[in-house]
Amino acid sequence: MTLNPSPLNLSRSGGCTLTGALSVTTHVRDAITIIHGPKGCTHHNFSLLHATAVENERVSLPDIISTGLSESDIIFGGEGALRQTLDKAALQNCSVIFVLSTCLVETIGDDVAAVCHGSYGVPVIQIPTAGFLGGTFQNGVNNALNAIADTAEPCPKVVCVNIIGEKNLEYEVEENYAEVCRLLGAIGIPVNVRFLRDCSVRDISRLGAARLNILRDAEVWAVGERLRYRFDTPYIPSFPVGFAGTIRFLEEVACCFGVKCARAVHEEKSLQDEILTEFKDIAGTSVSFDPAGVASGTFPVANEVAGHFGITIDPDSPTVPLQLSPPVGTNGIRHMLHRWRRAIHA
Amino acid sequence: MMKQIALYGKGGIGKSTTSANLSAALSLQGLDILQIGCDPKRDSTRMLMHGNFIPTVMDLVRVRGEANISLSDIVYTGFNGVRCVEAGGPEPGVGCAGRGIIATFQLLEKFGALTGDVIVYDVLGDVVCGGFAMPMREGYAQDIYLVTSGELMSLYAANNICKAIKRLSSRTKSTCRLAGVICNAKNQPREEELVGEFARRVNSSLIQYIPRDRVVQLAELNRKTVLEYDPDSAQAAQYRSLASRIMENTRFTIPTPLEIDDLESLAIEFI
Repeated sequence: MTLNPSPLNLSRSGGCTLTGALSVTTHVRDAITIIHGPKGCTHHNFSLLHATAVENERVSLPDIISTGLSESDIIFGGEGALRQTLDKAALQNCSVIFVLSTCLVETIGDDVAAVCHGSYGVPVIQIPTAGFLGGTFQNGVNNALNAIADTAEPCPKVVCVNIIGEKNLEYEVEENYAEVCRLLGAIGIPVNVRFLRDCSVRDISRLGAARLNILRDAEVWAVGERLRYRFDTPYIPSFPVGFAGTIRFLEEVACCFGVKCARAVHEEKSLQDEILTEFKDIAGTSVSFDPAGVASGTFPVANEVAGHFGITIDPDSPTVPLQLSPPVGTNGIRHMLHRWRRAIHA
Repeated sequence: MMKQIALYGKGGIGKSTTSANLSAALSLQGLDILQIGCDPKRDSTRMLMHGNFIPTVMDLVRVRGEANISLSDIVYTGFNGVRCVEAGGPEPGVGCAGRGIIATFQLLEKFGALTGDVIVYDVLGDVVCGGFAMPMREGYAQDIYLVTSGELMSLYAANNICKAIKRLSSRTKSTCRLAGVICNAKNQPREEELVGEFARRVNSSLIQYIPRDRVVQLAELNRKTVLEYDPDSAQAAQYRSLASRIMENTRFTIPTPLEIDDLESLAIEFI
């Protein structure tokens, strides 16, 4: 959250706790999410989620319903409106209903948990998401993931990994996932559940089957810890980042499963060498980084890559763009270098 | 010119009893009085209505919807023509009573209900949120009276209300001022002196000392104001005196609330 409307401070992931939780719950295919509050809270989020999905080439309408609170609900309490909306949602053939609260209902003290404990014929999961309490977008994501994780029961482990906390609103979400899958495929490890992106309640019930969780990044650390406690599943704290980091990722995952990775590591290093050859035209140049909105973790990767090419970082040189989050894997670096090349040769 | 006064004070201190008797006494001067109870407990006007709880504005809004309410549904005529309104509010423990007060005022304004020679606003104990400050805002009640006894907790509540009045009166368009302190006595020793000194220290004055009298309870048990139940009693004379002083009052101030230590030392001085 920022009060400074500079482009440097803008991010899709910098908004309300409610939006964070919605970016998770709307990815459960057979779920309905109720936003308990005035209809505007739903409208804005619906628009944001829809527009983002379209930009990421997913034409889907998020399954969100508002309790549509009016002034008289505020005066007399909105619990009745929530109960009615839950009854209505329960008729719509869904496997689970999420109830997300807003600033207004937390202010007037609606007992949302008590209403959610009622009997509706469908499991109801409450996720407190009032933004004014100081929580961030990421708190919303983590609260939602934790609440949903609690619905899954421990089950026998098999050789597979879960992907935890993908950033559903980021531009590169699918290509980042594809890169992680490619690396896992190189050592023969399949993905169990994308927790949580485009999955069903049944998928989520298998959450405990993975022998390893791979966190998107440190922001979902608390979720990784919760899953470790609940399912005894260890985790790797981040997607692979940087040339060396990608090799390390392969080695760590392989180590967890007790599989050999020498060949996968060799092939990955060859790919990285190919990239160094492919982009040798920008070697020895001088650039500066555009820091607008960029996560701090991006800079070490940019510096590592610049080091490989003998590129000098100089504030007076042409600016090259950086991704908001660090590029994922070897192919993430390739995409970053394409953008650098365009900027350098512009 | 219409006079709009509001009575604030600690819960249970006797605001509703004082308001109802004040409205009755004012009406007996031949004035057209509207009393508005601004407490979800909705018992402000009960003695004026001979023990009846009148339907509240908020209940009517809830049951019928705002579009299906008329002025005659919310204003009831009680003792000696005093017109009575109860704002009402949510059940205890749910919703937002403060917003209910705001909605009630908007509705009363819409109906053009805020008319008469004097409007008496009887407001819930403390000014717990912005909603309960509504009678003091937007030019509704201009003259605020604090009802207190000589007990420390009661003075403490009155002092807190001074803070609200001070804050609100500093706004440029605000017309609300502290008009005086009413001592609704517990018959403690030196109580009148103590409350008088408190009033002076918060830059106001003691408007009326109302001694504790059993006739108040007897009148309530008979579902009447004292003015109706026993008009010749000494207590009825106290309320008539209060009514006259309020109508003659010209001293309206911005209060100077005390620090808690000063308030305690003051109470100790009068033990």
